[in-house]
Amino acid sequence: MDGLHDLFTVGFATALTYQNLLWALIGCTLGTAIGVLPGVGPAVTVALLLPVTQSIDPTGALIMLAGVYYGAMFGGSTTSILLNTPGEAGSIVSALEGNKMAKAGRGGPALSTAAIGSFVAGTIATLLLTLLAPIIANLTLKLGPVEMFALMVLTFAAVSAVLGNSPLKGVISLLIGLAIGLIGIEQQSGQARFTFGFAPLLDGIDIVVIAMGLFAIGETLYTATYENHLKAGVESLAGRFWMNKEEWKRSWKPWLRGTAIGFPFGTIPAGGTEMPTFLSYSAERKLAPPEVKEEFGKGAIEGVAGPEAANNAAVTGTLIPLLTLGIPTSATAAIMLAAFQQYNIAPGPLLFDTNPELVWGLIASLYIGNVMLLVLNLPLVGLWVQLLKVPRPLLYGGIVVLATMGAYALRQNWFDLLLLYIVGLMGFLMRRYEFPVVPLVVGLIVGPMAEKFFRRAMSINQGDLTVFLKHPVSLILLLITLAILIVPPLLKRRQALLKVS
Amino acid sequence: MLKRVTGEQWIALGVILIGFIMIWQITGIPKSTGYAGIGPRFFPSVIAFGLVIAGATLLIQSRPSKHPETEEKTQDPDHPLDYEIAHPHWRMFSIASAALILHMSLIGFIGFTLAGTLLCFGICLALETSHKIRDLILSFLLVLGLFHLFKWLGLNLPALISGGFL
Repeated sequence: MDGLHDLFTVGFATALTYQNLLWALIGCTLGTAIGVLPGVGPAVTVALLLPVTQSIDPTGALIMLAGVYYGAMFGGSTTSILLNTPGEAGSIVSALEGNKMAKAGRGGPALSTAAIGSFVAGTIATLLLTLLAPIIANLTLKLGPVEMFALMVLTFAAVSAVLGNSPLKGVISLLIGLAIGLIGIEQQSGQARFTFGFAPLLDGIDIVVIAMGLFAIGETLYTATYENHLKAGVESLAGRFWMNKEEWKRSWKPWLRGTAIGFPFGTIPAGGTEMPTFLSYSAERKLAPPEVKEEFGKGAIEGVAGPEAANNAAVTGTLIPLLTLGIPTSATAAIMLAAFQQYNIAPGPLLFDTNPELVWGLIASLYIGNVMLLVLNLPLVGLWVQLLKVPRPLLYGGIVVLATMGAYALRQNWFDLLLLYIVGLMGFLMRRYEFPVVPLVVGLIVGPMAEKFFRRAMSINQGDLTVFLKHPVSLILLLITLAILIVPPLLKRRQALLKVS
Repeated sequence: MLKRVTGEQWIALGVILIGFIMIWQITGIPKSTGYAGIGPRFFPSVIAFGLVIAGATLLIQSRPSKHPETEEKTQDPDHPLDYEIAHPHWRMFSIASAALILHMSLIGFIGFTLAGTLLCFGICLALETSHKIRDLILSFLLVLGLFHLFKWLGLNLPALISGGFL
């Protein structure tokens, strides 16, 4: 129960200061807004805020960035329910049932169950985080470079094999990310690698440029070329808004089940929120009594309540590996790790000892943020719906201007704008040919760390490669890696079945 | 359908090419400064060979015969996107690209606000706006607002005249 003690003594004392409350509110509001806006995700927003946060103290900055991250999950559901265009990947499933509910004039209860479910799941998941994080941090203290490297290999395998349609494309995306991560001066030997004689490349390619290029420029080019003629109508919010007794009764179990599915998925490096939301959806469908089962596909409230809860629980779950191991399991978490690095703070087991105010303040802010988001998203939902009416050309114009600004502000060099465009072209091609981008971002951030741990492991063990199989923990991790490469084809078949039926 | 596969094969070739460029560049990295033979060349070599192998695998896998599922997709009325994918608007792609390239070449000369306005408006054109004049004015106001917001936040952006309003 150490966690609870620290939470109340250190955490809330930090999070409840006037300044940090303000950062949490800004983060949650921004997060909801970008979650609502189609085409902008939490990853690009967090990346965009990186240059701005340089002048803020780390605790406030990370509280704000975390608010953006889970605020986007709340806001994303509004878009998927009313527009049938998922605002972010985690709300694909809730678009299935939620949009049908909105079409049938039950948009209000759909939004309510999504928001309240997100709140319930977020709060339970934060409580789990509070209790588990210090324990896991203590365990991970015992991990040496051999185990850390094995863990990173596991992360690489998981993010590239589990996500997307084709594990091969995931692997290519990962390798490209790892390759980009190599550019610049190598830390241990001081050698410049892959700079092709360009001085601006000595510092490496900044994560802001990569994130903006992939998510903002690539997305805009893709929309202009392919998707601009797809018209999606916004469903209006007619009828009653709050859930009735029946709907509460049908929602609470899916919320809890969604949380139970989502949280563990967030903690393992299986990348993101897509898997748990799909699993939660299929679980609700299976568990539904026959008369409800018929409603699935036509607007069953369980199909919104479960996945939305799973989505939020997973996001909170990703904070466990991020804070205790320093390993990001999603694109947004990877960019948040870059935010930590910007302050020369290395997340990991020691973080709980060296920066208790930061960690516990951040965790306490999650409880507060969840309440803020419930208020922001339920009574004020009409306000966010207005955002859906922003003309699409101006929306994308604004996104692109912000992206170029983020890239340019780093060094005031047009070379960064050229890099941004090149990465944008890459993002465009990846989107067009269905390469997942999360492996690239994770590879880019974790790659240099993995190389460092690998070389440290080798130097301790005189270059003996079998050391990875001799240490029991790393052996187990590598065996799990192997399993991850074999099991997903089976799971994929399951998902395909779900889609067909 | 043949076109789709060709695109994927181009990407596969590109991936292989990146792998070879890396192998060529690795020879320029000084050899062993590391322990136990693990110098700054080791990791890049693994990644470079990985890229070549993965690219080659993609090339082999993306033969037309291996893609029966793409045909199903076009007949699916629930997926209007597949129709759009078959009919890309390259003119719009070019307008968006031109706006970005113009922006990067002009930002040092005409400042953030004016270059940004051109960029924002260019993207509006690429997305086929039906209110050109409104969007041009709003682009300018938006970028001007951002310029001053970020100046206030302490982020330095180039102005037309150093320290000026635009």
